[in-house]
Amino acid sequence: MINIALPKGRLGEKVYKLLARVGYGCDEYSEESRKLVFKDSRGEVSYFWVKPADVSVYVELGAADIGVVGKDILNEYNPDVYELLDLGLGKCSMCVAAKSDWKDDISVPLRVATKFSHTAEKYFSGQGRDIEIIKLNGSIELGPVLGISDVIVDIVETGTTLRENDLKVFTKINDISARLISNKSAYKFKGGEIKNIVAKLAEVIK
Amino acid sequence: MKFNLKEEDALNKITSLFERRGFRRFRSGCFEEYSLYRDNESFLVGKNVITFTDLTGRLMAIRPDVTLSLIRRTEIDGARTCKYFYNESVYRRATGGKDFREISQTGAEVVGRIDGLCEVELVSLMCETLGIISPDYILDISHVGYTEGLLSEFGDRREEVKDYLSRKDVHDFIKLAQNQGYGKELVNAFISAAELDGNAVEAIEKAKKTALNVKMKSALDELEVLVSRLSVAGLDGRININFSMANDADYYSGLVFNGYIDGVPHCVLTGGRYDNLLHKFGKEGGAIGFAVYLGEIERYFASEDVTVDCLIVYDDSSEDKALKLARDCLAKGKSVRLDRNADLTGCAATEIFDLTEGVKR
Repeated sequence: MINIALPKGRLGEKVYKLLARVGYGCDEYSEESRKLVFKDSRGEVSYFWVKPADVSVYVELGAADIGVVGKDILNEYNPDVYELLDLGLGKCSMCVAAKSDWKDDISVPLRVATKFSHTAEKYFSGQGRDIEIIKLNGSIELGPVLGISDVIVDIVETGTTLRENDLKVFTKINDISARLISNKSAYKFKGGEIKNIVAKLAEVIK
Repeated sequence: MKFNLKEEDALNKITSLFERRGFRRFRSGCFEEYSLYRDNESFLVGKNVITFTDLTGRLMAIRPDVTLSLIRRTEIDGARTCKYFYNESVYRRATGGKDFREISQTGAEVVGRIDGLCEVELVSLMCETLGIISPDYILDISHVGYTEGLLSEFGDRREEVKDYLSRKDVHDFIKLAQNQGYGKELVNAFISAAELDGNAVEAIEKAKKTALNVKMKSALDELEVLVSRLSVAGLDGRININFSMANDADYYSGLVFNGYIDGVPHCVLTGGRYDNLLHKFGKEGGAIGFAVYLGEIERYFASEDVTVDCLIVYDDSSEDKALKLARDCLAKGKSVRLDRNADLTGCAATEIFDLTEGVKR
């Protein structure tokens, strides 16, 4: 039995449908159901829905053998897992954005509002730029608008939210998409089944 | 999941394993100068060290690891083989934990003159150690010569490629390969190294097909000899080749090992050939060793129940009677626990004498 952690929400549902297409569907599954755990009748797979940012925790601690998680989360938390496949779903990018008329003043530390503090620290230390992190949990765009930060580091999908708040992207840090990850120990003991799932998924997303 | 044995029993069995092979016990104090760990930070499992200033103002550390103390303190001579084992507490962050903890570390080190036999003996000991904890184990083996040989082909991109290799991340490597215009041979060598993870004999055959240079080929030759000797001992079925281990080539110079147990989500045994560390200390010869961190897997061991022959349950009115009965049982060579409660958690008794009602149950 392979335990699979899926991120709650649209991405997780898309991934489930991909898995169902390659033979890992469950009768118990329905989009309306609020059940957190469901299994297939043959006992090959068991799925559970978790908060997207927690998928890597479940996989690293072995509660799930494999899981699907955004590259943004992997970059931020650097979990000790194998990263086996780029599913090409949930594509977006990690960006530095600011008010469209913003000019950098390198004589003072840059104030960066973000949920992704490690990502921001790593990026700016690579640039040799002193920063002050302002850790926010949502509505990051408000940082520059209300003047508590100079820039934000956040995920940008279409850029609509940025435009509507008079912000624009200054730098793209990296591309993000959903990745299939595996617990290292599970990969030793259930390697055959895991490699099977990876190969079948790789075939359908080609 | 729970193992079938207690932590203490596992430890005793592992200790006796080392003693039966003529390994000498190494003991050391708990404190070392902090510089020992600062200078060899990437040799440590965890980077955080507890430090304090001693009475003469030196910055000291409470040891987070035993191997460094052993290498520093023992006389090592390139012409002779010394075999040590230890079982000591170390102080560091546990894997995945946030706070400092006391963790028991048990391991063996062979230093000085190392030949092929020493390596086979030590790998067998790793397998036996893992086998004591659980029969469902796998020992991953890699060779720094192979991974370094591969990474040397990537010039200034080696750190990035090393990161992809340690995560088995082929998709991001392919993007890099397309950007950099790497040749087919190089791309295939990486993909083969990243995807290899399985039975040693087959894996070595596969790896041979994509080996790019002398360094990679001679590492495979070494692995092949080792695996064939291990299969004579019947151990090949539990041995995997896996080149996705992030080991620091500043310390490790040959074989490297990670041990896994089914049901435990992280690696429980680490080890390798670390001649380079020895040379950093200005010592001659070679070194190979491994450690298991039983303290990190303590939750998987069977609980440490107290087992006695007789449990005597008493109340205010039967205290004297209970004392007499206990003396009688002890005189017969039985073990006894006196308690006011019959339903003790964590205590199993063969016989229960309930003196609150005067009935033997």
